[in-house]
Amino acid sequence: MWQRASLKQRLLALALTAITLVWLGATAFTYHDAREEFDEVLDAHLAQAAALLVVQATHEIDELETEHTPLLHKYARRVAFQVWEKGQQLRLHSANAPQQPLASRERGFSDNIIDGKRWRVFSTWDESGEYLIHVAERADVREELARDIAGNLLRPMWFSLPLLALLLWIAVMRGLRPLDKLAREVEQREPDNLAALDASTAPREVVPLIERLNRLFVRIEASMQKERRFTADAAHELRTPVAAIKAQAQVARAASGEAERIHALDNAILGCDRAAHLIDQLLTLARVDTLDRGVVEPCQLRDIAAETIAALAPAALEKGVQFELLASDETVVRARHGEAEPSGAGVPASHLLPQSAGYASNVSEVRGNPGLLRVLLRNLLDNSMRHTPPGTSVQVSIDHEPGVVRLSVSDNGPGIPEQERVKVLERFYRPLGTQASGSGLGLSIVKRIAEVHDAALQILPVSEGQGLRVTVSFKS
Amino acid sequence: MRVLVVEDDALLGDAIQAGLKQSGYAVDWMKDGVSAEQALATEPYAAVVLDLGLPRLSGLEVLRRLRGRNTQKDVRINKQTPVLILTAMDTVDDRIRGLDAGADDYLVKPFDMGELAARLRALIRRASGKTEPWLEVAGVKLDPAAHRVLYRDKQVELSAREFALLHALMLNAGKVLSRAQLEEQLYAWGDEIESNAVEVHIHHLRRKLFPELIETIRGVGYLMPRDKDA
Repeated sequence: MWQRASLKQRLLALALTAITLVWLGATAFTYHDAREEFDEVLDAHLAQAAALLVVQATHEIDELETEHTPLLHKYARRVAFQVWEKGQQLRLHSANAPQQPLASRERGFSDNIIDGKRWRVFSTWDESGEYLIHVAERADVREELARDIAGNLLRPMWFSLPLLALLLWIAVMRGLRPLDKLAREVEQREPDNLAALDASTAPREVVPLIERLNRLFVRIEASMQKERRFTADAAHELRTPVAAIKAQAQVARAASGEAERIHALDNAILGCDRAAHLIDQLLTLARVDTLDRGVVEPCQLRDIAAETIAALAPAALEKGVQFELLASDETVVRARHGEAEPSGAGVPASHLLPQSAGYASNVSEVRGNPGLLRVLLRNLLDNSMRHTPPGTSVQVSIDHEPGVVRLSVSDNGPGIPEQERVKVLERFYRPLGTQASGSGLGLSIVKRIAEVHDAALQILPVSEGQGLRVTVSFKS
Repeated sequence: MRVLVVEDDALLGDAIQAGLKQSGYAVDWMKDGVSAEQALATEPYAAVVLDLGLPRLSGLEVLRRLRGRNTQKDVRINKQTPVLILTAMDTVDDRIRGLDAGADDYLVKPFDMGELAARLRALIRRASGKTEPWLEVAGVKLDPAAHRVLYRDKQVELSAREFALLHALMLNAGKVLSRAQLEEQLYAWGDEIESNAVEVHIHHLRRKLFPELIETIRGVGYLMPRDKDA
């Protein structure tokens, strides 16, 4: 309940509680103070009265009957005295005094209960030691006085508390008006209105909230735009292969010759493969787009490279493309293990699989998501397979410098002209003359995964106008 | 009828080429905007099927240059040629932009091969100033959609080339067409043309229909006289 109460209710409740507590504290203090003051003043009065009685008694006691003195004041009922001769015979007492002694003590102050009533008693002997004098006062008188005073203090509170509550409520309402305004503004927004909120007139406490909200709006806007563009592009890109499949199928149906029909059907099947590839790539991109790095763990780039190459090698061989893996620290490690292997040379991928245990760790180690890194490399290899002529050789190399681990995929294919090298990173961009089988998304996926890993992506020719080298530099 | 297909997607372009050939067109296929422009500058086409998302030069730009006033002189041979935009861009804005740039029709991918052929027929028909789908000259009726020719209400069997030749002559009835013009209409680039192919086809047409249908203008070309009452 308290957690969900409105700010106004909270403020009001807290303020009223604080005021009440302070007031009650002040009253309690006053009460105690009054009690003490009364005690002192009234005790002094008792002593004074006793002294008077002593003087009186010693001179005139003989002339007095053992009977009562009249009540002179309404409070007099609560004041009593006794004069005992020799401490044993009650010679004189007030009308309301009991028959037994008011106190067992014979000197000084004492508190006694007689007939169920509390009395404050001052006792003394006269100078001759003949008379014992008790002067008493009902203790509840003092209590009553103190209560009266405290009560007088509390009474205005009962009137003023509701008034105070009302004033506080108005103050709280006024004080929180900027917050109300902000809430209304946000509430009344159209769902797709992502314009920034005005923070210039907002109170200081609310500014961080508004700034955060505005930053969130900007991010949502950006991601919505990206989404829209992507959906539009994707729809556009998906229509073409579907159109091709449909057209080829219709050509096949209307074909008059067997060769023509087979050609069209083969093309339709090719179109299906292409559409499937495109859909896969679209899904991958959609996934990496919305992803942060996900689970980050130390990854051995060499192992990932070896696995990925091994997975793609059969298809590559079919296309006449040769893969190889080079890793710069290979020599060092092999030497350490005392193997006389030729150093630095490419090793066929199939020989490289489960050897990680024997390698020095952290040389090819980067922190990242192994699944994404595999996708990155697979796309680079896939590109080098799709866009190069048969007989191309593709090298994957991993080398490191202090602070950097570099993964490069190089081929001796035709390369990409300089003016196209930025464009190929755009979604759905396919350079002219590209085999239609590409989705135009591979390098976009690579770029996104590199971004997610805070890695730099570089596309350069291997040598002047020849070949292509894509380098991903990870911070290690 | 010779048409130009401009489509950068290999599989789709191949299918359009094959499908339009089945409908009796001679088809030239270009894969980018620049080659399309070159083709448009050199060959007369009955119609153009144009994709918009082209490499090197966008389809819209090709269209604007084709229709524009400041084109080089040689591009003007196709200035009046009907253009059908074939694209995956399907918003109303895209269509408006395409049609306003000078396109005559707009078809969104994926499309039906039959519809594409029918729209091309309609475009070619309208471009030649006719409104009825049938062509009729001197008692010969030609149905471009069904590939049928009737003479005296009896069907005449013609080969694809003969049909195309007759179609071209009937569309241009009353005009003299040179042998080169007829060849351009009948053959796409890369098709093999025998030296006397047109003469042979004309001869066959005269035999299957009637000799006076097509006049030879010696040294100039051929003419199908327009109906007197038409």
